[in-house]
Amino acid sequence: MPLNIIVLIKVIPDLEQIKANASTGEVQTDRIPLRLETLSENAIEAAVQLREKHGGKVFGLIFGKQESAPLMKKAYAMGVDEGTVLTGYGENNPMHTAEVLCQKIRTMQFDLIISGNQSADTYTGLLPGIISSKLNINLLSNALTLSIDQATITVRSSLDRKIQNLSSQLPAIVSVTQETNQPRLPPVMQIMAAGRKQIVTEAAQVADTANVKRISNKAPKSERRKQLFEKTDEGIVAIVKAIKEEIR
Amino acid sequence: MMYLSSILLLAGLLAAAASFFYTLYSIFWNALRIPEKKIKMGLSIGRRIYLTIRNVLLQGKLFKDSSGGIMHALMFWGFVAFAGYSATFFARGIVPSYQLIPAGLFKDVLFLTVDIFALIVIVDVGYAVLRRWVIKVPRYQGYNGFEASFILFLVATLMVTYYALGVLRLDGVSAGITGAIMEGIPASYTPISGFFASLFPGISGSSGLDLYWILYGIHAIDFIVFLAYIPTSKHLHLVAAPLNVLLSKDTKPAQISLIDFEQQKRFGATDIRDFSWKDYMDFYSCTECGRCTYNCPAFLTGKTLSPRDIIWDLRKVVMEEGPKLRHAGIEEKDKILTPVIGEPISEEDLWSCTTCMACVEQCPVMIDHVEKIVDMRRSLVLNQGKAPKETIETYTNMEMYGSPWINDPSTRGDWAKDLNVNILSESQNDDFDILYWVGCVASYDRRNQDIAKSIVKILQKAGVRFAILGSEEKCTGDPAKRTGNEYLAQNLATANIETLNRHKVHKVITGCPHCFNSLKNDYKEMGLEMDVIHHTEFINQLISLGKIDLKALESDDKEKFTYHDSCYLGRYNKIYEEPRTIIKTVTSNFEEMEMNKSKGLCCGAGGGRLWMNENVGTKISHKRMEMADKVNATTVVTACPYCMIMLDDARRVMGKDEKMQISDISEFVASRLVQN
Repeated sequence: MPLNIIVLIKVIPDLEQIKANASTGEVQTDRIPLRLETLSENAIEAAVQLREKHGGKVFGLIFGKQESAPLMKKAYAMGVDEGTVLTGYGENNPMHTAEVLCQKIRTMQFDLIISGNQSADTYTGLLPGIISSKLNINLLSNALTLSIDQATITVRSSLDRKIQNLSSQLPAIVSVTQETNQPRLPPVMQIMAAGRKQIVTEAAQVADTANVKRISNKAPKSERRKQLFEKTDEGIVAIVKAIKEEIR
Repeated sequence: MMYLSSILLLAGLLAAAASFFYTLYSIFWNALRIPEKKIKMGLSIGRRIYLTIRNVLLQGKLFKDSSGGIMHALMFWGFVAFAGYSATFFARGIVPSYQLIPAGLFKDVLFLTVDIFALIVIVDVGYAVLRRWVIKVPRYQGYNGFEASFILFLVATLMVTYYALGVLRLDGVSAGITGAIMEGIPASYTPISGFFASLFPGISGSSGLDLYWILYGIHAIDFIVFLAYIPTSKHLHLVAAPLNVLLSKDTKPAQISLIDFEQQKRFGATDIRDFSWKDYMDFYSCTECGRCTYNCPAFLTGKTLSPRDIIWDLRKVVMEEGPKLRHAGIEEKDKILTPVIGEPISEEDLWSCTTCMACVEQCPVMIDHVEKIVDMRRSLVLNQGKAPKETIETYTNMEMYGSPWINDPSTRGDWAKDLNVNILSESQNDDFDILYWVGCVASYDRRNQDIAKSIVKILQKAGVRFAILGSEEKCTGDPAKRTGNEYLAQNLATANIETLNRHKVHKVITGCPHCFNSLKNDYKEMGLEMDVIHHTEFINQLISLGKIDLKALESDDKEKFTYHDSCYLGRYNKIYEEPRTIIKTVTSNFEEMEMNKSKGLCCGAGGGRLWMNENVGTKISHKRMEMADKVNATTVVTACPYCMIMLDDARRVMGKDEKMQISDISEFVASRLVQN
């Protein structure tokens, strides 16, 4: 059965390049290069693999800012067929993000939604659940494997200490983890084709409810001891000792 | 008998020639019609003639393995001389009394040479048998099948019957008959035949004549079979190898060809159409001698990669699919041709290659194994997005951070902040003479930053007006290019070229041979003309110009030095002597490791291997450290940050950190600068 899959893609500032002001702790996120959230890449990979197996279409959805739009090219290169960038993202507010996405999704035909189980910039992990509730479809979370038979999806779901098998009728929403797959390196033909593909940008139609306010955003203070151990054997002992003291 | 022998000889020769040329036709049809990869060939006539004289006539590259080389060279020269005899044999045999070579001194000397070389060839065959089946030289094992023994048998028989016929001539048996091959040659010009004749005196009469015709027949059939057999066997190299040397691409340092992503439709080598006609010549020239494989660092440390098998496997596919395609029609490529990756060439083997060029350096017939391996990697990476997991992460980093590791690019020049260095990303002050290209490893790796600092110290001491790019510098793309990600490599190169042009850089010094090779050779292919110097060359110049002075080592010093050759400095760019000269200005406590200079053993890091796991066999770097240990080195001097990482790690893991240190040539120099 050909599948219509929506993959939710998050664009985040590259966390490796974020700097904090040493004295005030203020985090500077402007002018930091943007990238696809790693788990979004896993979500794209899972969607593309299902499409390759069952046929159908993968539709990418980004809720971000105007600057996020070019990142859709990478999603195209990885195999996403069509994509829309919804602009107007402000602060981290999962309720609002979910509402914006759901409003768009309700206008679309879909069998399955796939997203990462959380994102590295905010770590709420709430979005798949909220969407599940808003669209009244089942959530199969932390999927390690995904398989579809007729109109039923089955996943191996990774919980803290156990793995359980879940299945649901489609449509459903699935969240994936980093262990789900190894996102592909896009073939060069697809990279070049992606460059020529159209990226649709739409302004989000839902105003931010502003029910979450950011009061401050500061880096935790860390003081470097700047100790350097040149000799491996002595260094290991000293470092282990220092860590033990810190834990206490 | 007279005419019958002429007719039989002519018929046999024609049949052999027909078979020979038909096989050659089919082989050259493959080479000219199937390949779609275009290559650039410089004319360089002088260099080509030089290479042909050196490597074909003088058998130059064969002597890299002297014991095997001398054997082959004598066989080759023997055959060249013997060709004169064979031509006379057939001319005279087909047209009685015809003198192909007019009587005279030339003919006499030619046959003297033949008479001596025939014995040398017989001894040589014995030596070959000894090497293959008694001493069992490792590189032949597994390759001693029918072909090898049959050809030695044919060669020996040809020579033995030559002497037997010579003995009968000297005994007067063949006087005046058809096929009296060496009529008129004075007996003194065939001394070896003369010696054998003295052992078998007085053969005469009709039984002598019968014997003559039998031997004559064997000799002729031997030659005819040999001729027909050549192009179907590995002895095709008799035809292909001299051509391969003459048409060699190696008229400049090893290059991986560029891909034009706008024009080309196929990327890398997936099936046999994706190689060039020159690659086909490489396949045809291979004789399975195995010098490549037995100098391959991967093979020597227990990996399954064998450059010989790569070439031979591709040749087999060409020989199998070529005729099918010829019969089906050239437009049927998509139907007939099958991918060569997976089967017969495994992905694992392709990823094991360190692109060190030891195979290419050793190959007597100038086969380029490395470009083919990179082309097949390109097929995997560019068409299927397939590469080892670690390599894919490296690509992401190069794309995001302009470095193979996750490093904040804005901190790239931080190591130089307190060193009074002109950092262009901060100063935008283009008032400098030389750009010091630091490279990713020396910019970010803690140990390697000491190399960068040493280079700065030396440059400052010598009063060189230099600058570094700081955060404007990106990876040159070498790890991407050599692992087959040409797309990423070109993107990085384009960005760097733009930066270099913007700062009007004309002269660059770098401490990294990989950056050096990229900037000097790869970027040149992309149109950037710069004077690129490696720090070993530059430091050597500074010393010889008296710009810096070094303290000599005390004579009673217990330190013992050795030098580890970087492949990208040595084999790629032929810089062997400069680092050694520098070391020797300071100390005579220097000893070469085994496998040095052009035979230098790779550290295991090239070809993107620095960022891949090495799980099969022993680690290449460990093998190298054992070699350093054998000469009791206390310091291994290197000239490459990749080598530094590999060897320094091996030293620690192997527990040699107490007695041995790894030092870059710049550190070696910077710590011995005379302050005045």
